[in-house]
Amino acid sequence: MERGNPLLDNYVLGLTGKVRPRVCFLPTASGDADHYVVRFYQEFAKERAGASHLTLFRRDRAILSVREHLLSQDLIYVGGGSLVSLIGVWKAHGIDEIMREAWEAGVVLCGLSAGALCWFTDSVTAYYGTPERVDGMGFLPWSFTAHYDTEPERRDEFHRLLCGGMRPGYAADDGAALHFRGLALHRVVSSRPLAGTSSLRCGPHGVLEERIEAQYLGEAKAQERAVGTHPAPGNPVAGGGPIAAPALA
Amino acid sequence: MTHNSGTPRIVALGGHEFRSSPPERAIVRHLLELTGVENPRVCLLPTASGDPQASISDFYSVLDRFECLPTHVSLFRLEREWVDLRAHLLEQDLVYAAGGSMLNLIAIWRAHGLAEIMHDVWEAGVLLAGQSAGAMCWFEHGITSSAGQPRAAEGLGLLPGTLCVHYARDPGRRILLLHEIEGGLPAGYGIDDGAGLLFEGTKPVEAFAGSRGARVVRVESSEEGAHEMVLRPISLRHELAWSADPALAEMRQHRRAKAGIGARRRR
Repeated sequence: MERGNPLLDNYVLGLTGKVRPRVCFLPTASGDADHYVVRFYQEFAKERAGASHLTLFRRDRAILSVREHLLSQDLIYVGGGSLVSLIGVWKAHGIDEIMREAWEAGVVLCGLSAGALCWFTDSVTAYYGTPERVDGMGFLPWSFTAHYDTEPERRDEFHRLLCGGMRPGYAADDGAALHFRGLALHRVVSSRPLAGTSSLRCGPHGVLEERIEAQYLGEAKAQERAVGTHPAPGNPVAGGGPIAAPALA
Repeated sequence: MTHNSGTPRIVALGGHEFRSSPPERAIVRHLLELTGVENPRVCLLPTASGDPQASISDFYSVLDRFECLPTHVSLFRLEREWVDLRAHLLEQDLVYAAGGSMLNLIAIWRAHGLAEIMHDVWEAGVLLAGQSAGAMCWFEHGITSSAGQPRAAEGLGLLPGTLCVHYARDPGRRILLLHEIEGGLPAGYGIDDGAGLLFEGTKPVEAFAGSRGARVVRVESSEEGAHEMVLRPISLRHELAWSADPALAEMRQHRRAKAGIGARRRR
């Protein structure tokens, strides 16, 4: 849901292998902000997706079985905002367990910023101003941080935490996305030519950072559409946060 | 530092909105008077509904008509609107929790460490108030629709017992409260929209109503099942007459001035 840039949206839709996939948006991390929901419906217009959104703030007005609804999707899209609030609310409603079920059933899971951080075990968020480590849902057993190119403080803290014993992991620039199949990193793609990701771990003499160049989707559109005609079970795509996602609330 | 007596106090409202209608404003006025200070500091926490801008602007537009210092804290926008939660809440005279999803409210407050902070803020003597989910959150249990159908949910437990809001308007909740109290949930209260109940420490000391007929009901379990006992609320109607309509109030003031009666001009 990058303004004026549908490349990553097209990519995740393509992963479903469906012509008009069922896509459910979870704007929990933004407090179900109305303008964010409206933007989702604009981006995932009805010609190309069967779009719905799940509100966890007005469940008395929504008559559906959350579990059935989420399990019937081809793609689940998690919006940005506050990771701490996202995890808190999801646990209160049992969404964390439903998400694991959906993941194992082969529903493509994706999200940006807080919506990407939530899938990992150790998530480094800067929500309180200073970056800090927060427990994610732990589907992907690594550390992760987004906005790597735009927030130097986050980078420094990520490095410090890695050498302080945090598990190895990944960092993604704005516009870059890590695509996992099961637990294996399958591809790294981007909606911006210079956006990329890094694989990081602590070595004997400090942080070892290996740059993973992303495949820019702008030049390879035709190929992308062919990807994922047979989606493998467990397909999370962790977006590095096209646009400063936490600013969406 | 607080500006008040230091007794922990909580006001539970069965249903209240920041609107300019007389009953809604009477409740705001009463809350401000309960702080016991002039120009009280008032902080809104709209967490339970996801901090929507519309509720925040409604709050400011109503509070703007009173002598007070309103602020709000958006836990969903802390990244842009940074505030030291503990320090900010401790320096308030009144903290008002808005309604929405009780499940989400409790989950988010706990995740951000606000459950402990609220306990300290309460003990420091800051008046805590709230409506709907924002009222039930202070009790051990509430009857909430946050998961769709009404069900019992755990609150922060500053106050003992079970609270049910929108008591007259939402019969489904009332029936569940009676059922749950029969079934072993601790005794508690049902509060209608427009009514409120003040607690000093954990003791209820005043039931009040901003609109005619709004009730506060004590619900206990007895041998014949749950037993309802209607408390007699103090009517805030004298305040209604006073602030019913700004134009009317001005006209009255004008008349009194002409008659030579000194009236303190309200800002």
